[in-house]
Amino acid sequence: MARFVVGPASELPPSSRRIVNVDGREIGVFNVNGLYYALRNLCPHQSAPLCLGEVTGLAVSDEPGEIEWTREGEILRCPWHGWEFDILNGRTVFKSKARVKTYAVQVEKEKRPSEAEGVETYPVTVEDEVIILDY
Amino acid sequence: MTQAEGNQTPFETPVTLIDCDVHPYLKHADELRDYMQEPWRSRTIPTRRQIFLPPGDGRRLDSFPEDGSPAGSDPELVEQQLLKGIGADYVILIPSSSISIIPDPVFAAAVARAWNDWQIDTWLGAYNPHGRFKSSIVIAPQHPERAVEEIERLAGHPHLLQILVGSSALAAYGKRQYHPIWEAAARHNLPVALHVESPVGPTPPSPLGYPTYFLEFHTLYPTIYMTHLVSLIAEGVFEKYPDFKFVFVEGGSAWLAPIMWRMDKDWRGARAEVPWLKRRPSEYLRDHIRFSTQPIEEPENPRHLLQIFEMMDAEHVLMFASDYPHWDFDDPKRAFPPLPERLKRRIFCENARELYNLPATRPLDHLDSTQSSAAAKRCRGGSVNRPPQHTM
Repeated sequence: MARFVVGPASELPPSSRRIVNVDGREIGVFNVNGLYYALRNLCPHQSAPLCLGEVTGLAVSDEPGEIEWTREGEILRCPWHGWEFDILNGRTVFKSKARVKTYAVQVEKEKRPSEAEGVETYPVTVEDEVIILDY
Repeated sequence: MTQAEGNQTPFETPVTLIDCDVHPYLKHADELRDYMQEPWRSRTIPTRRQIFLPPGDGRRLDSFPEDGSPAGSDPELVEQQLLKGIGADYVILIPSSSISIIPDPVFAAAVARAWNDWQIDTWLGAYNPHGRFKSSIVIAPQHPERAVEEIERLAGHPHLLQILVGSSALAAYGKRQYHPIWEAAARHNLPVALHVESPVGPTPPSPLGYPTYFLEFHTLYPTIYMTHLVSLIAEGVFEKYPDFKFVFVEGGSAWLAPIMWRMDKDWRGARAEVPWLKRRPSEYLRDHIRFSTQPIEEPENPRHLLQIFEMMDAEHVLMFASDYPHWDFDDPKRAFPPLPERLKRRIFCENARELYNLPATRPLDHLDSTQSSAAAKRCRGGSVNRPPQHTM
């Protein structure tokens, strides 16, 4: 398991995202209500750049014609064919075998550049927390 | 030996063939008047207007009774040609009422009621000693309240097994104005059958209006059927009424798999617009929707039809129909390529038997005896000249 420093947490506030290139793989890191999630920027359907899609909510219904809006900010809609993915687990919101690869994300106290071996670093302040991607 | 055969008594015979589209005709248009009250009784009833003319006035030429009455109006000839002729154990009658072309919804509802009272007295009554004629409750969907009243009035009749609506409609059948009708149908466990209607109706027979030739008109039936099918699924009717079942009669079926592939694909991206759909659109087919076979597509390579059957899950959704007495009648022994035994049983009997709750065996009757053919009424056969033009 390798680690990748995405950047200072302060630069990725809630409802924002950043797409990083990790060893040639594009991965989108999302802040959803203060928690971080990472998805491969590759739609399992036709390989669209999924993480460029709209972050939205989930329409649900118990009765035709009536729609309830839920989970605002937790759904990612593919920019090509509009498939909706659950950012929290990478699954389509409809039943399917398609699933986008997810990665674990942690927030750690910033380490000094000399301790962060062999990874990209960012200019951060001493007080910052940093976002670490396991891949 | 099947279970059905194992259980049969000497007086019972296994049910093996159910014909889901047979048209009973009035002997004379005025027959309906006996079942109408004023102010409707003295009005002229709008009838099927033929602007696209099929071969033979749209009838098998051997289906005209000797006495010159309309094809499909003589129960004994129908018995000879269907119950004996093709060996149908039950036929599901679909009155050609053309209700949907009547612009006045109140008048239309009165005509629908008359058709029902007529068929209860005749085809389901006096003509039906063997009980092998089943039929459809005629309603005027352009008047949903009256349609529901008619369903409430007749649900439970032992020979009325479904509800009939026309393909030509004011709007696609998934729309909300029809939901009360579907609610009543589902509550009474009565499937709703859609049958093609007159080309002259509230809507033109193709999305681009009126074609030039009968050939086009007839070929394009599926365009209207697709519209109703997609509407019923998209509007969530089958989620709203989990017991609701819908039958598409005479609109073909070979188009079914591709249109459902298309709808499934579009739904994956457009799901948020219709979140009441809990399943892929095509997944509603097996539990809720049936198709009748006639006119069965006849590809150059008959194996292609079997492939299409597999794609559309024919084993669960397809039911045999002959469309007697119409010109494009399908004979169950001749219209299909050889089918695997199980598929054959499902299409010719089991799918319809399950949908309409028909028994696995039926009592033997006089039509099962070989002697009865001697007394059979004869049709006018090959000696006919041009049959008379019938308007109903």
